[in-house]
Amino acid sequence: MNKVRRFLRAFFLVDIVQGLSITLRHYFGRKVTVQYPEVVKSLPPRFKGMLRLFRDEAGEPLCIACKACQRICPSHCFDIEGVRPEGSKVMRPTKFDWKLDRCTFCGLCVEVCPTDAIRFSETFRMSALGKDKLHFHLPDMYLRGEELQSHLCSGCLK
Amino acid sequence: MTGKAFLFELLIPVIKIVAVILYPMIMVVVMIWLERRVVAWIQGRIGPNRVGWQGILQPFADAFKLFFKEDIIPREADKLLFNIAPILVMFSTLLAFCFIPLGESFRIGTYTLHLRIADSPVGLLLVLGLSSIGVFGIIFGGWASNSKYPLMGALRSVIQILSYEIPIGLTVLTVVFLSRSMDLVRIVESQREGGVWFGLLMPVSFVVFWISGIAETNRAPFDLPEAENELVAGYHTEYSGMKFAYFYIAEYAHMVLVSSLVVILFFGGWLPPFPSIKAFAFLHWIPGFVWYLIKIMFFLYLYVWIRATFPRYRFDALIKLVWKWFIPLSLANFLVVVALRYVL
Amino acid sequence: MASKAFKEIDLNMGPQHPSTHGVLRLKVSIDNEVVLHVEPVLGYLHRGMEKLWESQTYHQIIPLTDRLDYLASLSNNLGYCLTVEKLAGIEVPKRAQYIRVILAELQRLASHLAWIGFMANDVGAMTVLLYGFEARESFLDIFETYAGGRLTIHGMRLGGVPFDLDETVIGMIRKVLETTPKWIADIEGLLTDNRIWRHRTEGIGIIPQSDALENGLTGPCLRAAGMAWDLRRDLPYSSYEDFDFDIPVRTASDVLDRYFVRMEEMRQSLRIVRQALDRLPAGEHIAKVPRTLRIPPGEIYHSIEAPKGELGFFIRSNGTDKPERVKMRSPSFINLMSLEQMCKGNLFSDIVGVLGSLDIVLGEIDK
Repeated sequence: MNKVRRFLRAFFLVDIVQGLSITLRHYFGRKVTVQYPEVVKSLPPRFKGMLRLFRDEAGEPLCIACKACQRICPSHCFDIEGVRPEGSKVMRPTKFDWKLDRCTFCGLCVEVCPTDAIRFSETFRMSALGKDKLHFHLPDMYLRGEELQSHLCSGCLK
Repeated sequence: MTGKAFLFELLIPVIKIVAVILYPMIMVVVMIWLERRVVAWIQGRIGPNRVGWQGILQPFADAFKLFFKEDIIPREADKLLFNIAPILVMFSTLLAFCFIPLGESFRIGTYTLHLRIADSPVGLLLVLGLSSIGVFGIIFGGWASNSKYPLMGALRSVIQILSYEIPIGLTVLTVVFLSRSMDLVRIVESQREGGVWFGLLMPVSFVVFWISGIAETNRAPFDLPEAENELVAGYHTEYSGMKFAYFYIAEYAHMVLVSSLVVILFFGGWLPPFPSIKAFAFLHWIPGFVWYLIKIMFFLYLYVWIRATFPRYRFDALIKLVWKWFIPLSLANFLVVVALRYVL
Repeated sequence: MASKAFKEIDLNMGPQHPSTHGVLRLKVSIDNEVVLHVEPVLGYLHRGMEKLWESQTYHQIIPLTDRLDYLASLSNNLGYCLTVEKLAGIEVPKRAQYIRVILAELQRLASHLAWIGFMANDVGAMTVLLYGFEARESFLDIFETYAGGRLTIHGMRLGGVPFDLDETVIGMIRKVLETTPKWIADIEGLLTDNRIWRHRTEGIGIIPQSDALENGLTGPCLRAAGMAWDLRRDLPYSSYEDFDFDIPVRTASDVLDRYFVRMEEMRQSLRIVRQALDRLPAGEHIAKVPRTLRIPPGEIYHSIEAPKGELGFFIRSNGTDKPERVKMRSPSFINLMSLEQMCKGNLFSDIVGVLGSLDIVLGEIDK
């Protein structure tokens, strides 16, 4: 009896029709394509975009050149030097070199920073037209948004 | 002969010839676009939609790209056969379209316009024969490439095509038996007289013919000889640029040819559904060739739908399938049809 | 005549090939379509990980373990962190252990969905690739919201996990517990009963259980060979003993059985995640571990059940904050060694199917 049933299922192509019905259902179903670059998906808060230095509410830079990020980075992306300016309680960086092409976006520097100065941003279009553009120096580390995009690449996505 | 009649006698065939070349070409262009969009929709994405409105210019972009590619010929290749192979495949497929009627003949004044080029009482046989000539193109392509992988792929393709010709012949035989003619127009007319499409009358014939047709055109799930995932990339490995485009276009044209044959032999050609029932006479308002196109589009959709859904048959199973199942089945089917015809 | 002309051809499935799951080179020798020898040639993705780790601190190694099995990075993180914690005697809070279980099982689901996509695509069913990856998207979105990364997640730390599960993430996990069974049902509907799939996978790539054990085959391939061995149940770690789940075991040890085992594992993973989420205890999400972690000299080997098999780390410490030697037992590397035995006697076109069923990742093999 079982054999007869199996033969009939095979002869009448039951499995074929079943497969075709599943794909037919998806044919009329939802399409997940996002029309990039006109539409960009919203990024979650912890998204690991490009690293950059942040300022506090008053506009003062947060980085105190403690070099914790330099010590923890597994890929040796940082080269930091700092001095304590006259009349200031904290050290300030005189040199803050960061290499984007070495970074693996592990986030260890973000975790160890005592002042939350270095954080991930929302920038993910990180292509540039030259390797020198991928090596950031102190003023560039505070760039963001459109200025950062222009610094990296001439903005071909316009 | 008056000038007007002379014009008709000369102009109409020229227009028909141009139409016969254009019709498969246009269908091929539509097919390329359709395939990518339908497969994408089944997979939950949209497919090409940037080149032209909804991506309809994508096939032209592909053709454009292929046109400008460098034409590479392997150094030790047999130049004559290498160059002839794509032409042969294209030529045989396009020639077969001469015998396919696109609709019923209609009158313009005193002139009867037949929607086909050649009027032959054995049109069906010629179409099948011509599509078999394309096999030579495959052999030449595989041999002339002077490399073992295309040769293995070509041999596999050839065995596949030749084996699947047999069930095609046997199932077509049932249709010829019922309609008493090999003329494609007569076959459609006998479906009108009978009042029922042959596909509904003989579903086994239809299914076997359709599956064998898929195998003939090297389409999934029978596309092992030319799948990229396998090592042997098929007879067109060494071809680039326009020659590759010829093979590509010829494959799609062959698909359109097989779909046309299925529609004419089993689905009433240009007849509307229920052709002889008076209640459905309003369907005759839609002209014949529109019905024909609708049905062909359905089968082309079916081709793509099947490709997107199923895995690939391994080559030995493909051959076992035809020799152990399809050929005995189509033989038995033919005997049953003959027996029933004489009993009823 | 034909067999003489085609006797013993040597073919090369080169490092660049659509179906070798990475840069794997296979030297195949066939006799008239039947496979005689298969020799994998490895090393095209070797990055010197184990040597690199000797100059990194224990914390710095974790993001580098992401890049081993890059389709299941949380499992690598987990394996490494558990090993170091065992060596250093770090106690992980209960809540962190449960969160680790949730993350590891979600990662197992994502890995298996990628696997079925690739394997079905190799055999020709290209739609299943897209379905598998669309189902996987939901998991990657969860990882992105939780830790910021989709592929190299760095989602575990020594002593626990970097972040606690907040409402957004828990909501996403609950949603995925609803939607994933439908995707699995669709993929199974397309494959399980399909005659072409059966024909390509039934009776192919068989390895007897005794040979599997001798070769060191682990993971779903071993369970498909009849051995009910799963480290989550037999040598439990990270509170797996608190959960109720079944171990799928099959006996025919062919490609089809490996497929069944992994599909059932996906369902069991959903079960585990649901239990862990329902019973999530209160507590800390990470223990206090010093930034400069110095471990007194010692050795340890500890392994976990990664999606690909038994993933083990051997660590020898020397009192400093960097390990003396780290050796990784990668499941794909050991499993790959059974490829020849599985392929012998089968046809050439089956190699791709068997390779797919082994579920290898070159990042893990070549380190």
